[in-house]
Amino acid sequence: MSEDIKLTSFARMAGCAAKLGPAHLDEVLGRLPEEKAPQLLSSIHSGEDAGLYLLQDDLVLVQTVDFFPPIVDDPYTFGQIAAANALSDIYAMNAKPLTAMNLAAFPCGLDKCHLEAILLGGYDKVHEAGAIVIGGHTIEDDEPKYGLAVLGTAKVDEITTLRGALAGDALILTKPIGTGIMTTAHKAGMAGEAIDVVIESMRELNAASASTISSRDVHAMTDVTGFGLARHLYDMMKASGVAAELWAKEVPLFPEVLAMLGLGMAARSSVYESLSEGKVEVDTGGVDELLVQCMFDPQTSGGLLAAVPPEQADEIVAALQAGPALQAAVVGRVYASDLAKVTIKHSKEG
Amino acid sequence: MEPDIDCTGLLCPEPVIRTKSRLEKGPDPFTVLVDNETARDNVTRFAKTMGCEVGVEATGGGWLVSVTPSPAGGTVVQAAPEGEGPSARQTVFLLTGDEIGRGEPELGRTLMKMFLFAAAESDSPPATLILMNSGVRLVTENEETAASVKRLEQAGTEVLVCGTCLDYYGLKEALKAGTVSNIYEIQGKLIGASLLVSL
Repeated sequence: MSEDIKLTSFARMAGCAAKLGPAHLDEVLGRLPEEKAPQLLSSIHSGEDAGLYLLQDDLVLVQTVDFFPPIVDDPYTFGQIAAANALSDIYAMNAKPLTAMNLAAFPCGLDKCHLEAILLGGYDKVHEAGAIVIGGHTIEDDEPKYGLAVLGTAKVDEITTLRGALAGDALILTKPIGTGIMTTAHKAGMAGEAIDVVIESMRELNAASASTISSRDVHAMTDVTGFGLARHLYDMMKASGVAAELWAKEVPLFPEVLAMLGLGMAARSSVYESLSEGKVEVDTGGVDELLVQCMFDPQTSGGLLAAVPPEQADEIVAALQAGPALQAAVVGRVYASDLAKVTIKHSKEG
Repeated sequence: MEPDIDCTGLLCPEPVIRTKSRLEKGPDPFTVLVDNETARDNVTRFAKTMGCEVGVEATGGGWLVSVTPSPAGGTVVQAAPEGEGPSARQTVFLLTGDEIGRGEPELGRTLMKMFLFAAAESDSPPATLILMNSGVRLVTENEETAASVKRLEQAGTEVLVCGTCLDYYGLKEALKAGTVSNIYEIQGKLIGASLLVSL
């Protein structure tokens, strides 16, 4: 390493906060032709985590891509986080990653050793996942970016998607919320050591949590990323044809998240977009405004969100807490409704 | 009118960083021009947390946020319930331990319990109660003091609990009253206090 580098100083936006908002994306995707092939099992309109292509009999190809500007200053750590984030889509579908390809953008004036460190972080994470890096592509850009395209496979009857959540299901979240707020605070130099646990969480693979959940009767699963918890939950409800209560007080938050939010460290105010569209609503009983904002915080390498039978919820949460996800919690419940929506309540009781 | 700070084209956290450094220079009112909703909300929230009066006005391509620092510099006046004297509004209690004074720990803890009980009974509770270091035990492990603090909160006292301290003692999960806070917010309250009571 030639010198210390503050990688985030080159980034305009942090991590998955750089993702184009759901409303803008829907508008563009709505005008594109819809792919129709007998082998295609997914649709870009459903907000699914990865593309699904039936390769043969019961074997499905699971394909995904994800990349973003730096959210932490250390290049190797950024590489690890970007890779864990890209691999997460594969795990959300209960698939196994096989190969990955690097996507990178790097300023020409910057020492190339930093690019090497970023890529090395990615390699190490991909190897930890039991997959291999088989190529990539790098372009010049003032703002560094890194991510990967990942290919995995799954048995057709083992795949978990946004569809399948049933009325009565418990909603389980495996990682705390707040990476968008905390990385923004980190960029402002205000997060202090509170960023450390956030970094640990972001570079943690969702592999073990996915297998813990999938070994039980999971009905639907996704990972929480750039649109925030409430909006990803809405996508699951819409695909499943049901509605959900999200219990804000039960959602685990990283230390200092609310304090940093109070100091103006929101990564993106996408709250109002989803609220005004009626996709997400806040309970009339009243929920702390800062907590509501957290439900929309864009996550980088966030946890898994799963709809499971209520009678199995405690056992699954216990298994998660005993191993891969110390802070796993039941954060809401699914109920029958003709209209897909998410209602943010203060707590389970209201 | 030209804005004092032009944050056009700037993304978060930059507009907040600029607002913060301007606020640190002095108590004069100023305006911040922002061109995206996130910056508007963040600057507004930050300034309010710092005890400023904030106004937002839509302009052609964005928003002009006007910030008027409170005379004292940082206390959140709105946290105090109506009908209280101005002095009570900016009284800040700072507790940096779970005992009062030096001596026998048992006596120190009893005094603290009595102090918080009396504060909760009082007609003019402080605007803010700040708990640091082992003071965080008062709203976690210690049920009796936590109950008093909870009553203070219900009476309108803003209770700020040091997040770093909770993490250090592994007590975050045990929090029974108050809001997890940080050194910036706490510093703002201390600077803005018209009467600081430190025990």
